[in-house]
Amino acid sequence: MDNGMDNMLDMYLFETNSLLEQLDDLLIEAEKNEELTTDDVNEIFRAMHTIKGSSAMMEFSSLMTIAHRIEDLFFYVRENGIDSLSHDAKSELFNLTFKSTDVLRSEVEKLENDEPLSTNIDSITTEINSFLNKISGVEEATGGEAKESEGSGNAAESLSVDIPGVAESNCPYFLQIFFDEGCGMENLRAFMLVNALKDRGMEFEFYPEDVETNSATSENIIEKGFFVGLNSEEEMKAAITAVEEQGSIQTYEVIHHELKQEESMASAPAVEQPVSAQSAATSDSSAPKASEQSAGKQVPAGQKEGAGSNPQHAAAKQSLISVNLSKLDALNALVGEIVITESMVTSSPELQNLKLDSFLKSTRQLRKLTDDLQDISMSLRMVSISGTFQKMNRIIRDMKKALNKDVRLTIVGEDTEIDKAIVDSIGDPIMHIVRNSMDHGIETTKEERIAAGKNPQGEILLSATHTGSEVVISISDDGQGMDPEKILNKARRNGLLTKPESEYTKKEILSLLMLPGFSTNEEVTEFSGRGVGMDVVKKNVESVGGTISITSEVGQGSTTTLKIPLTMAIVDGMEIRVGHSIFTVPISNIRQSIKIAKENVLYDAKGAEIVKLMDEFYPIIRVHELYNIDTEITQIEDGILIWVETGDQSYCMFVDELLGERQIVVKPLPAYLNSFNIKNFGISGCTILGDGNISIILDVLNLYAAANV
Amino acid sequence: MSNEQTQNVNMESTDAVMLEADTPTERYLTFRSDGITMGVSTNYVIEILTDHIITELPRVPDFIRGIINMRGQIVPIIDIRLKMGKPRSEYTDTTCIIVLDIDSVYIGIIVDSVQQVLDVDKTQISAIPVEDQQGLVNGMISLSSQEVLLFLDCEELIQAY
Repeated sequence: MDNGMDNMLDMYLFETNSLLEQLDDLLIEAEKNEELTTDDVNEIFRAMHTIKGSSAMMEFSSLMTIAHRIEDLFFYVRENGIDSLSHDAKSELFNLTFKSTDVLRSEVEKLENDEPLSTNIDSITTEINSFLNKISGVEEATGGEAKESEGSGNAAESLSVDIPGVAESNCPYFLQIFFDEGCGMENLRAFMLVNALKDRGMEFEFYPEDVETNSATSENIIEKGFFVGLNSEEEMKAAITAVEEQGSIQTYEVIHHELKQEESMASAPAVEQPVSAQSAATSDSSAPKASEQSAGKQVPAGQKEGAGSNPQHAAAKQSLISVNLSKLDALNALVGEIVITESMVTSSPELQNLKLDSFLKSTRQLRKLTDDLQDISMSLRMVSISGTFQKMNRIIRDMKKALNKDVRLTIVGEDTEIDKAIVDSIGDPIMHIVRNSMDHGIETTKEERIAAGKNPQGEILLSATHTGSEVVISISDDGQGMDPEKILNKARRNGLLTKPESEYTKKEILSLLMLPGFSTNEEVTEFSGRGVGMDVVKKNVESVGGTISITSEVGQGSTTTLKIPLTMAIVDGMEIRVGHSIFTVPISNIRQSIKIAKENVLYDAKGAEIVKLMDEFYPIIRVHELYNIDTEITQIEDGILIWVETGDQSYCMFVDELLGERQIVVKPLPAYLNSFNIKNFGISGCTILGDGNISIILDVLNLYAAANV
Repeated sequence: MSNEQTQNVNMESTDAVMLEADTPTERYLTFRSDGITMGVSTNYVIEILTDHIITELPRVPDFIRGIINMRGQIVPIIDIRLKMGKPRSEYTDTTCIIVLDIDSVYIGIIVDSVQQVLDVDKTQISAIPVEDQQGLVNGMISLSSQEVLLFLDCEELIQAY
């Protein structure tokens, strides 16, 4: 049961988050065009409706209330048309909507972090209410009229109705509702509809009455329809709107109740509302969803409702499903094993020297298939970076308002795909850099920009490109750039300088920015600066195996470049042999491999071996000595030197021989071994070789540290 | 639960056959290491491997023999002799690795030979007289012959400091 609850919460969080993200995109786009289309309004309305429904089901009352208020607001906007709003009202509407989605998001975050939800949400709800009152106060008169005139068209024909209870009812109007054929659980669907109507605060009757508890009513509903009795024409119209939003509804019909037939507009023709284009879309998109959901576990009713009530998005989302990352990892591990097992089988020594034509043919086929399988399973983890980039739109928008700067964000290469784990961990660093650019990079006033001969509108360029094994993400602004003098001064004051100022190159000065406790801005603003910035960014980027560098020209802007490996799980490695052990060194760390003669080995003051390469001296680390491995190759000219480099460390490793380059799947070492500090000796993980043996992956940086203890 | 209670009553009525069947027993896999017979609860045992290639790790205590690839899972291997401070011996064809899952930590132990699976009456397990064997043993029981069976303390095994 607990597990079921967790699943539901997961689903809820996923759904709500994606809705909020969609909303954000939509709002940003709409604000750019200074126009909310009717589609947009419908979309917002639907999203809020879904959030409200599922929050109510999960009993998150604060979320439900806020969503409900926004829904009310957009219900009004939808009824009256966006054009009825004045310009000011529109921009207020945007701000209010942004604000409320923020509140929703922060509540959702609290859920994710297992914190209690806010109980006091009055400020936002009052704000929405007063705005709603404001706009509805102005337009009530016209709105009312329109409703009335529309209303007269919607009269209904009487039908002979033989559902018990309907005949005795006093309601003048009935809606007869049929659900999609074969959608299942009709009684519960009817009950959801009842709830949806109740949410709107409507008073109504419905038959059969025991849909919630009596599943036998399903058949009745299939046969004769589900009846909702309403007291007035207006309520009926509202109910129709609600019905239209529900999923799985095939058709509905307005029935004028017999008892009052004389008093009503009997002459009006029957208004049958068969499957309109919209409800057709609804049934189309909801049917597969429903079956998909019922195939799984019991899925919350609110989400079904959400799936159905979102026809436009459902069409686009249809081809996506969400999968737990750990399942993907398990799949990847399994596929990796299949590939290895396959090669173990096909190159089994027992098969050597046998003439097995058809066997070879089938194994070739098998190899091709397993290779394809591996490619696909690897690609499952890859997601496009566009989500991360799009979030920056929102940040720019907010800061634009707050700082009163005119800036546009240009995004290049948002389709670039990288590993999901990496996407998650670079979101914050990118956001931080964008904020910095916005806050410190772009000039404070337009006049400054004009005086510098630039476009008054600032530009922040966010780009992502693939280069073989890594993704290069750069964030550049065309702002004022960074003054090396100022950075040096600041660094001196903070005591960060380690050598005479005159010896600092420009690159070194810029890298001072990334030291802990450095902040160029004197004031701490709402958005950035407090000196905990770039060093944390650097740490985050390095934690996923990436590097970060800054370039800047005074007066022309700055560029921050992140180089991130495509995936942490697969690296290009060079296999090396020392004695009987096989190690793998990441290719990205290797500069060169060289054979040198004995005479080229020099000795430093401590007697340690060094070698001169390209006019610089580099220490030599003998891996067999460091790791106490028995090997016959101890003479420098018999083995080979690998010149490696990481960050600012560069040295040569002496190994027996190179075995070749290959792509490897990184596996962490068992946790048990961590207690032996194995990482500090330069071992970062291992990988399984094609023959099932294990190769140990060396960490170039820690290996150097280990050798110098 | 009530079932067990009635059985306890039966036990008190001194029925020797019933006693054997009804006491809380646990199955133990017994193995030999350096002339000692030891047992490990089968609840921990994943599988027994023979003839596996062990990849050595540099710079680890010598009782850690290395890691193996057990169907894609990397399992650290420790030599139970060395862990108990006994001398190293050559691995023979009876030497094998028992892979254990101790609270989701996978670990393989190298033993001289694997013997059998025994049902052990838990109430008969007595404490060990002296704290020795580097604390790796948490109980003992005398077998029918003149031998004793020592129980491997699996939790202690993964507290590897």
